[in-house]
Amino acid sequence: MAKPAVILVGADKGGVGKTTVARTLIDYFGAHQTPTRAFDTESPRGTLKRFHPDLTEVVDVTAVADQMKIFDTLGSADAKVTVIDVRAGLLSSTLQALTDIGFLESAKKGQITFAVFHILGPSIASLEEIAETARVMGDANYFLVKNFINNTTFFEWDPATYNSYFKRIKGAEEITIPKLNEMAYEQVEVASVPFVSFVGNKGVKNEAANYSFVLRGYVRHWLGNVWGEYDRVKLIDLVAPKMESNVRQAAG
Amino acid sequence: MSFRSSITIIASPRPRVGKTLLARLLADFHRHEGRAVATFDLNAGDKTLEHFLPEQTTTASIRDINGQIALFDRLVADENTTKVVDLGHESFESFFAVTHQIGFVEEALSRSIGVAILFTMTPDKTSVEAYRSLRARFSHATLAPVHNEMLGPAQHRDKYPLASGSPVVRIPVLAPGLRRYIETPPFSFADAQLAETAGIPVSAHVEIQRWLRRIYLEFRELDLRILLADLRSSIRFGS
Repeated sequence: MAKPAVILVGADKGGVGKTTVARTLIDYFGAHQTPTRAFDTESPRGTLKRFHPDLTEVVDVTAVADQMKIFDTLGSADAKVTVIDVRAGLLSSTLQALTDIGFLESAKKGQITFAVFHILGPSIASLEEIAETARVMGDANYFLVKNFINNTTFFEWDPATYNSYFKRIKGAEEITIPKLNEMAYEQVEVASVPFVSFVGNKGVKNEAANYSFVLRGYVRHWLGNVWGEYDRVKLIDLVAPKMESNVRQAAG
Repeated sequence: MSFRSSITIIASPRPRVGKTLLARLLADFHRHEGRAVATFDLNAGDKTLEHFLPEQTTTASIRDINGQIALFDRLVADENTTKVVDLGHESFESFFAVTHQIGFVEEALSRSIGVAILFTMTPDKTSVEAYRSLRARFSHATLAPVHNEMLGPAQHRDKYPLASGSPVVRIPVLAPGLRRYIETPPFSFADAQLAETAGIPVSAHVEIQRWLRRIYLEFRELDLRILLADLRSSIRFGS
């Protein structure tokens, strides 16, 4: 059995596009034929579950029963990759819980591949979480995601301040999610389908749909750029090191 | 697979190089061949194309997403209509940027629609660079340089690298004094009756027809090239 991988997608602030990033990750692993399951912590009503109902389970990551559901099944589940969309405000406490159950210890020993996607908001406040998160993270694979999907405003950070935080985490890498046209994004929301299905003009039940070609084109182009970022940080090598990594991108 | 219809984009980053005349000629050629034609005018303002082809012409704008959807979704829509886009020089850059980003040519090909770009050659650096950039970005489209002899006899071949076996489309000079007939609406190259009602002298009419025949010959050759591109892409994609 290959080594299981856990990817935590989180932010301490809401509305920074965390679930959007989780969706692009699920699509990315799907395109690379890597079996993936997802946990949505926005109980009772999960956004991620709406887009990926077959792969997603809604859980309360602070409850012991649900922690067992996620972490005790890592070795036995068919899915190779587990993506956890951590609700706003729960990133630090989730990491603390992972320390307590010895999960981070196993990750350090190399029994589990563990990565964190930390989605940054456009304000300085979210930088302080980096410091806090860094404290518990140690050497895990840490990705700082600058998410531009929903806004055109520039991040209001002083580069020197940002870099001083950035350097606190050894080996942290930056990922940039580019902007997607508002109407294209909105139409995917309305359709409630994975980005890949929207690009392929498919509906919820994989039936032929009738989305605008222009909007599909924009989503395909955007998704290609996002996946380009994941390729750049060699994400697939990280979670599935022995697998063929040069799969042609369906969105490409 | 064989193309059921084609989309021809008439483009140049320069104003006043005869794009709208070329669009009219091409649209009337297709009508003359018995095809249904839709023309799209991306020029800001003057509505020249609409004056000559009132039933066929849609005024389009790609400045916002709604305009882009209205234009591109209709261009690739599954209908057996030949489409001609008269691209104003001010929309040149943004049009091809969007076209490239949304994968327009590939989408059209997947729906059995051939795409051709007619590019009027002028010696300026902007045009030469724009042509090269189109060549690099749209390898699946038929890119045909146009020599409009009314702009001058020089072909600027040294500046415009051609794919092998793809000659330029030539628009010959129209005898002096005849341009005013073809440039006063209503006028249609496809409608011989109109010449009579518009009071065009027989000698002028004959001369225009002779000129037109030479151009139609060029367009037939262009049609063959679009077909050939179809064959090539079938071989490439194995469909």
